[in-house]
Amino acid sequence: MSPTEERTAIERCKKGDRDAFAFIVQKYMKPAYYVALGYVGKPDDALDISQDAFVNAFRHITDFDTSKTFFPWFYSILKNLCMNHLNRIRRLCEDSIDAMAGQEDEIPLPVEALNPEQSAVQKDLRYKIGRAIRRLHPKEREIIILQHLQDFSYQEIADLLGIPIGTVMSRLYGARRALRRELERLGVEY
Amino acid sequence: MPDDEFKTLLMGYLDEELTDAEILRVENHLKECRECSLELENFRRLKGATRDMRVLMPDGKYWEDYWSHIYNRLERRIGWILTSLGAILLASYGLYKILAKFVLSPNIPWIIRLGIMALVVGMCALIVSVLRERLFLYKSDKYERIKR
Repeated sequence: MSPTEERTAIERCKKGDRDAFAFIVQKYMKPAYYVALGYVGKPDDALDISQDAFVNAFRHITDFDTSKTFFPWFYSILKNLCMNHLNRIRRLCEDSIDAMAGQEDEIPLPVEALNPEQSAVQKDLRYKIGRAIRRLHPKEREIIILQHLQDFSYQEIADLLGIPIGTVMSRLYGARRALRRELERLGVEY
Repeated sequence: MPDDEFKTLLMGYLDEELTDAEILRVENHLKECRECSLELENFRRLKGATRDMRVLMPDGKYWEDYWSHIYNRLERRIGWILTSLGAILLASYGLYKILAKFVLSPNIPWIIRLGIMALVVGMCALIVSVLRERLFLYKSDKYERIKR
Protein backbone atom coordinates (compact mmCIF):
# COMPACT_ATOMS: atom_id res chain seq x y z
CA MET A 1 0.00 0.00 0.00
CA SER A 2 1.53 3.31 -1.12
CA PRO A 3 1.43 6.41 1.13
CA THR A 4 -1.25 7.93 -1.14
CA GLU A 5 -3.39 4.79 -0.91
CA GLU A 6 -2.90 4.77 2.85
CA ARG A 7 -4.02 8.40 3.08
CA THR A 8 -7.09 7.65 0.97
CA ALA A 9 -7.92 4.65 3.16
CA ILE A 10 -7.61 6.78 6.30
CA GLU A 11 -9.86 9.46 4.82
CA ARG A 12 -12.42 6.73 4.24
CA CYS A 13 -11.93 5.47 7.80
CA LYS A 14 -12.69 8.96 9.06
CA LYS A 15 -16.08 8.62 7.37
CA GLY A 16 -16.62 5.38 9.27
CA ASP A 17 -15.61 2.96 6.51
CA ARG A 18 -14.48 -0.18 8.32
CA ASP A 19 -13.46 -2.00 5.12
CA ALA A 20 -10.89 0.73 4.53
CA PHE A 21 -9.62 0.21 8.05
CA ALA A 22 -9.14 -3.49 7.27
CA PHE A 23 -6.45 -2.47 4.74
CA ILE A 24 -4.64 -0.42 7.38
CA VAL A 25 -4.83 -3.33 9.83
CA GLN A 26 -3.48 -5.75 7.21
CA LYS A 27 -0.53 -3.48 6.60
CA TYR A 28 0.42 -2.86 10.22
CA MET A 29 -0.75 -5.89 12.20
CA LYS A 30 2.63 -7.63 12.24
CA PRO A 31 4.72 -4.57 13.18
CA ALA A 32 2.10 -3.85 15.86
CA TYR A 33 2.54 -7.37 17.17
CA TYR A 34 6.35 -7.05 17.30
CA VAL A 35 6.15 -3.76 19.16
CA ALA A 36 3.61 -5.11 21.65
CA LEU A 37 5.65 -8.27 22.11
CA GLY A 38 8.68 -6.10 22.78
CA TYR A 39 6.80 -4.44 25.60
CA VAL A 40 4.72 -7.18 27.15
CA GLY A 41 6.83 -10.20 26.23
CA LYS A 42 3.99 -12.72 25.93
CA PRO A 43 2.56 -13.61 22.49
CA ASP A 44 -1.06 -13.89 23.62
CA ASP A 45 -0.98 -10.56 25.42
CA ALA A 46 0.81 -8.96 22.47
CA LEU A 47 -1.88 -10.11 20.05
CA ASP A 48 -4.68 -9.00 22.32
CA ILE A 49 -3.18 -5.58 23.04
CA SER A 50 -2.29 -4.92 19.42
CA GLN A 51 -5.92 -5.61 18.46
CA ASP A 52 -7.16 -3.33 21.21
CA ALA A 53 -4.86 -0.63 19.89
CA PHE A 54 -6.41 -0.92 16.43
CA VAL A 55 -9.89 -0.68 17.95
CA ASN A 56 -8.86 2.48 19.84
CA ALA A 57 -7.20 3.89 16.73
CA PHE A 58 -10.38 3.46 14.71
CA ARG A 59 -12.39 5.06 17.48
CA HIS A 60 -10.12 8.14 17.47
CA ILE A 61 -9.27 8.16 13.78
CA THR A 62 -10.90 11.58 13.35
CA ASP A 63 -8.13 13.03 15.57
CA PHE A 64 -5.46 11.74 13.20
CA ASP A 65 -3.72 14.29 10.99
CA THR A 66 -3.61 12.73 7.52
CA SER A 67 -0.58 14.80 6.50
CA LYS A 68 1.42 12.50 8.81
CA THR A 69 2.12 8.78 8.62
CA PHE A 70 -0.19 6.44 10.44
CA PHE A 71 2.13 4.18 12.37
CA PRO A 72 3.86 6.69 14.70
CA TRP A 73 0.42 7.94 15.76
CA PHE A 74 -0.84 4.40 16.18
CA TYR A 75 2.37 3.52 18.00
CA SER A 76 1.63 6.00 20.80
CA ILE A 77 -1.79 4.36 21.34
CA LEU A 78 -0.22 0.91 21.30
CA LYS A 79 2.54 1.93 23.65
CA ASN A 80 0.03 3.45 26.06
CA LEU A 81 -1.94 0.20 26.18
CA CYS A 82 1.26 -1.80 26.69
CA MET A 83 2.32 0.48 29.56
CA ASN A 84 -1.13 0.15 31.15
CA HIS A 85 -0.83 -3.61 30.85
CA LEU A 86 2.63 -3.62 32.42
CA ASN A 87 1.45 -1.36 35.24
CA ARG A 88 -1.43 -3.74 35.89
CA ILE A 89 0.98 -6.69 36.01
CA ARG A 90 3.29 -4.74 38.32
CA ARG A 91 0.39 -3.97 40.67
CA LEU A 92 -0.57 -7.65 40.67
CA CYS A 93 3.03 -8.54 41.50
CA GLU A 94 3.05 -6.02 44.33
CA ASP A 95 -0.16 -7.53 45.66
CA SER A 96 1.35 -11.01 45.80
CA ILE A 97 5.06 -10.44 46.11
CA ASP A 98 6.08 -13.98 46.96
CA ALA A 99 3.92 -15.64 44.36
CA MET A 100 4.66 -13.57 41.31
CA ALA A 101 7.51 -11.15 41.72
CA GLY A 102 10.23 -11.69 39.17
CA GLN A 103 8.56 -14.68 37.56
CA GLU A 104 7.30 -12.72 34.56
CA ASP A 105 10.81 -11.83 33.48
CA GLU A 106 11.92 -15.44 33.63
CA ILE A 107 9.62 -16.52 30.81
CA PRO A 108 11.80 -16.43 27.68
CA LEU A 109 10.77 -14.49 24.62
CA PRO A 110 9.60 -17.09 22.11
CA VAL A 111 12.21 -17.28 19.37
CA GLU A 112 12.58 -19.84 16.63
CA ALA A 113 15.51 -20.75 14.40
CA LEU A 114 15.52 -20.05 10.68
CA ASN A 115 17.50 -23.23 10.33
CA PRO A 116 15.46 -26.01 11.96
CA GLU A 117 18.40 -28.46 12.09
CA GLN A 118 20.01 -27.10 15.21
CA SER A 119 22.11 -28.86 17.76
CA ALA A 120 21.02 -29.10 21.38
CA VAL A 121 23.68 -26.52 22.29
CA GLN A 122 22.29 -24.04 19.78
CA LYS A 123 18.76 -24.67 21.04
CA ASP A 124 19.89 -24.03 24.58
CA LEU A 125 21.61 -20.83 23.48
CA ARG A 126 18.45 -19.73 21.69
CA TYR A 127 16.41 -20.36 24.84
CA LYS A 128 18.85 -18.40 26.97
CA ILE A 129 18.97 -15.49 24.54
CA GLY A 130 15.18 -15.45 24.57
CA ARG A 131 15.33 -15.31 28.35
CA ALA A 132 17.91 -12.52 28.35
CA ILE A 133 15.82 -10.49 25.90
CA ARG A 134 12.79 -10.98 28.11
CA ARG A 135 14.70 -9.46 31.02
CA LEU A 136 15.52 -6.26 29.15
CA HIS A 137 13.73 -2.98 29.69
CA PRO A 138 10.70 -2.83 27.33
CA LYS A 139 12.25 -0.06 25.26
CA GLU A 140 15.45 -2.07 24.81
CA ARG A 141 13.51 -5.25 24.08
CA GLU A 142 11.49 -3.45 21.45
CA ILE A 143 14.47 -2.32 19.40
CA ILE A 144 16.28 -5.67 19.76
CA ILE A 145 13.22 -7.45 18.41
CA LEU A 146 12.89 -5.09 15.48
CA GLN A 147 16.56 -5.09 14.51
CA HIS A 148 17.95 -8.45 15.59
CA LEU A 149 14.95 -10.71 15.37
CA GLN A 150 13.03 -9.14 12.51
CA ASP A 151 15.85 -7.62 10.48
CA PHE A 152 14.17 -4.26 10.04
CA SER A 153 16.41 -1.59 8.51
CA TYR A 154 17.21 1.55 10.49
CA GLN A 155 14.93 3.53 8.19
CA GLU A 156 12.07 1.10 8.80
CA ILE A 157 12.59 1.26 12.57
CA ALA A 158 12.78 5.05 12.45
CA ASP A 159 9.52 5.18 10.47
CA LEU A 160 7.79 2.70 12.77
CA LEU A 161 8.80 4.37 16.01
CA GLY A 162 8.70 7.94 14.68
CA ILE A 163 12.27 8.69 15.76
CA PRO A 164 15.36 9.87 13.84
CA ILE A 165 17.91 7.33 12.59
CA GLY A 166 20.50 8.74 15.04
CA THR A 167 18.16 7.84 17.91
CA VAL A 168 17.69 4.36 16.45
CA MET A 169 21.45 3.87 16.58
CA SER A 170 21.90 5.21 20.10
CA ARG A 171 18.97 3.13 21.42
CA LEU A 172 20.38 0.10 19.71
CA TYR A 173 23.75 0.71 21.32
CA GLY A 174 22.20 0.89 24.80
CA ALA A 175 20.00 -2.15 24.13
CA ARG A 176 22.86 -4.28 22.85
CA ARG A 177 25.02 -3.41 25.84
CA ALA A 178 22.13 -4.30 28.14
CA LEU A 179 21.62 -7.59 26.31
CA ARG A 180 25.30 -8.43 26.67
CA ARG A 181 25.09 -7.68 30.39
CA GLU A 182 22.05 -9.96 30.76
CA LEU A 183 23.77 -12.76 28.86
CA GLU A 184 26.82 -12.42 31.10
CA ARG A 185 24.58 -12.48 34.15
CA LEU A 186 22.98 -15.70 32.91
CA GLY A 187 26.45 -17.11 32.28
CA VAL A 188 25.85 -17.49 28.55
CA GLU A 189 28.82 -17.87 26.24
CA TYR A 190 28.21 -17.00 22.62
CA MET B 1 33.77 3.34 26.80
CA PRO B 2 33.79 4.85 23.29
CA ASP B 3 32.61 8.43 22.95
CA ASP B 4 28.97 9.08 22.12
CA GLU B 5 29.45 9.78 18.46
CA PHE B 6 31.32 6.57 17.76
CA LYS B 7 28.96 4.52 19.91
CA THR B 8 26.17 5.21 17.50
CA LEU B 9 28.33 5.01 14.41
CA LEU B 10 29.60 1.60 15.52
CA MET B 11 26.04 0.34 15.38
CA GLY B 12 25.55 1.64 11.87
CA TYR B 13 28.89 0.16 10.86
CA LEU B 14 28.01 -3.24 12.29
CA ASP B 15 24.61 -3.28 10.58
CA GLU B 16 25.96 -1.88 7.29
CA GLU B 17 23.78 1.19 7.48
CA LEU B 18 26.41 3.91 7.03
CA THR B 19 27.35 6.03 4.05
CA ASP B 20 30.76 5.53 2.40
CA ALA B 21 32.12 8.63 4.10
CA GLU B 22 30.93 7.44 7.52
CA ILE B 23 32.40 3.97 6.94
CA LEU B 24 35.75 5.56 6.17
CA ARG B 25 35.59 7.64 9.36
CA VAL B 26 34.76 4.64 11.50
CA GLU B 27 37.49 2.52 9.93
CA ASN B 28 40.07 5.24 10.50
CA HIS B 29 38.94 5.56 14.08
CA LEU B 30 39.06 1.79 14.62
CA LYS B 31 42.70 1.70 13.52
CA GLU B 32 43.57 4.03 16.37
CA CYS B 33 41.08 3.05 19.07
CA ARG B 34 41.49 -0.37 20.61
CA GLU B 35 38.53 0.14 22.93
CA CYS B 36 36.15 0.69 20.03
CA SER B 37 37.61 -2.29 18.15
CA LEU B 38 36.96 -4.54 21.14
CA GLU B 39 33.49 -3.13 21.56
CA LEU B 40 32.74 -3.76 17.90
CA GLU B 41 34.02 -7.32 18.16
CA ASN B 42 31.72 -7.97 21.13
CA PHE B 43 28.73 -6.58 19.29
CA ARG B 44 29.64 -8.62 16.22
CA ARG B 45 29.58 -11.82 18.27
CA LEU B 46 26.24 -10.85 19.77
CA LYS B 47 24.79 -10.20 16.33
CA GLY B 48 26.21 -13.52 15.15
CA ALA B 49 24.52 -15.35 18.02
CA THR B 50 21.09 -13.99 17.08
CA ARG B 51 21.61 -14.12 13.31
CA ASP B 52 19.33 -17.04 12.53
CA MET B 53 16.73 -16.31 15.20
CA ARG B 54 13.29 -14.91 14.62
CA VAL B 55 10.40 -14.06 16.90
CA LEU B 56 8.06 -17.01 16.92
CA MET B 57 4.98 -15.86 15.05
CA PRO B 58 1.45 -16.99 15.80
CA ASP B 59 0.25 -19.43 13.14
CA GLY B 60 -1.32 -18.26 9.87
CA LYS B 61 -4.84 -18.97 11.07
CA TYR B 62 -4.52 -16.29 13.70
CA TRP B 63 -3.47 -13.68 11.16
CA GLU B 64 -6.40 -14.65 8.96
CA ASP B 65 -8.75 -14.03 11.87
CA TYR B 66 -6.96 -10.93 13.14
CA TRP B 67 -9.21 -8.47 11.36
CA SER B 68 -12.41 -10.31 12.27
CA HIS B 69 -11.45 -10.08 15.96
CA ILE B 70 -11.04 -6.31 15.59
CA TYR B 71 -14.26 -6.02 13.59
CA ASN B 72 -16.17 -7.90 16.29
CA ARG B 73 -14.82 -5.59 18.98
CA LEU B 74 -15.80 -2.52 16.97
CA GLU B 75 -19.27 -3.90 16.38
CA ARG B 76 -19.68 -4.94 20.00
CA ARG B 77 -18.90 -1.40 21.11
CA ILE B 78 -21.76 -0.02 19.02
CA GLY B 79 -23.98 -2.70 20.53
CA TRP B 80 -22.98 -1.64 24.03
CA ILE B 81 -23.57 2.04 23.27
CA LEU B 82 -27.06 1.36 21.90
CA THR B 83 -27.91 -0.95 24.80
CA SER B 84 -26.69 1.61 27.34
CA LEU B 85 -28.54 4.42 25.60
CA GLY B 86 -31.77 2.43 25.56
CA ALA B 87 -31.35 1.49 29.24
CA ILE B 88 -30.67 5.12 30.22
CA LEU B 89 -33.73 6.36 28.31
CA LEU B 90 -36.03 3.73 29.82
CA ALA B 91 -34.64 4.17 33.33
CA SER B 92 -34.98 7.97 33.07
CA TYR B 93 -38.57 7.66 31.92
CA GLY B 94 -39.40 5.23 34.71
CA LEU B 95 -37.72 7.46 37.29
CA TYR B 96 -39.60 10.48 36.00
CA LYS B 97 -42.92 8.63 36.28
CA ILE B 98 -42.18 7.46 39.81
CA LEU B 99 -41.02 10.90 40.92
CA ALA B 100 -43.98 12.62 39.34
CA LYS B 101 -46.29 10.26 41.18
CA PHE B 102 -44.61 10.79 44.55
CA VAL B 103 -43.77 14.48 44.36
CA LEU B 104 -47.13 15.56 43.01
CA SER B 105 -49.19 13.29 45.21
CA PRO B 106 -50.87 15.20 48.10
CA ASN B 107 -51.13 11.93 50.08
CA ILE B 108 -47.34 11.70 50.57
CA PRO B 109 -46.02 13.65 53.58
CA TRP B 110 -43.99 16.74 52.67
CA ILE B 111 -40.89 15.43 54.48
CA ILE B 112 -40.80 12.33 52.25
CA ARG B 113 -41.27 14.50 49.16
CA LEU B 114 -38.46 16.79 50.29
CA GLY B 115 -36.22 13.77 50.90
CA ILE B 116 -36.91 12.40 47.42
CA MET B 117 -36.22 15.81 45.85
CA ALA B 118 -32.91 16.10 47.73
CA LEU B 119 -31.96 12.57 46.65
CA VAL B 120 -32.69 13.30 42.99
CA VAL B 121 -30.87 16.67 43.02
CA GLY B 122 -27.87 15.05 44.78
CA MET B 123 -27.72 12.21 42.23
CA CYS B 124 -27.94 14.67 39.35
CA ALA B 125 -25.10 16.74 40.85
CA LEU B 126 -22.94 13.59 41.16
CA ILE B 127 -23.65 12.55 37.57
CA VAL B 128 -22.83 16.04 36.26
CA SER B 129 -19.62 16.04 38.29
CA VAL B 130 -18.52 12.66 36.91
CA LEU B 131 -19.41 13.69 33.35
CA ARG B 132 -17.48 16.95 33.73
CA GLU B 133 -14.43 15.05 34.97
CA ARG B 134 -14.67 12.59 32.06
CA LEU B 135 -14.97 15.44 29.59
CA PHE B 136 -11.92 17.12 31.07
CA LEU B 137 -9.90 13.90 30.80
CA TYR B 138 -11.09 13.39 27.24
CA LYS B 139 -10.02 16.88 26.22
CA SER B 140 -6.60 16.60 27.84
CA ASP B 141 -3.84 14.59 26.17
CA LYS B 142 -4.61 10.93 26.73
CA TYR B 143 -1.06 9.90 25.92
CA GLU B 144 0.85 12.61 27.76
CA ARG B 145 2.62 10.00 29.89
CA ILE B 146 4.19 8.52 26.78
CA LYS B 147 7.73 9.70 26.23
CA ARG B 148 9.27 9.18 22.82
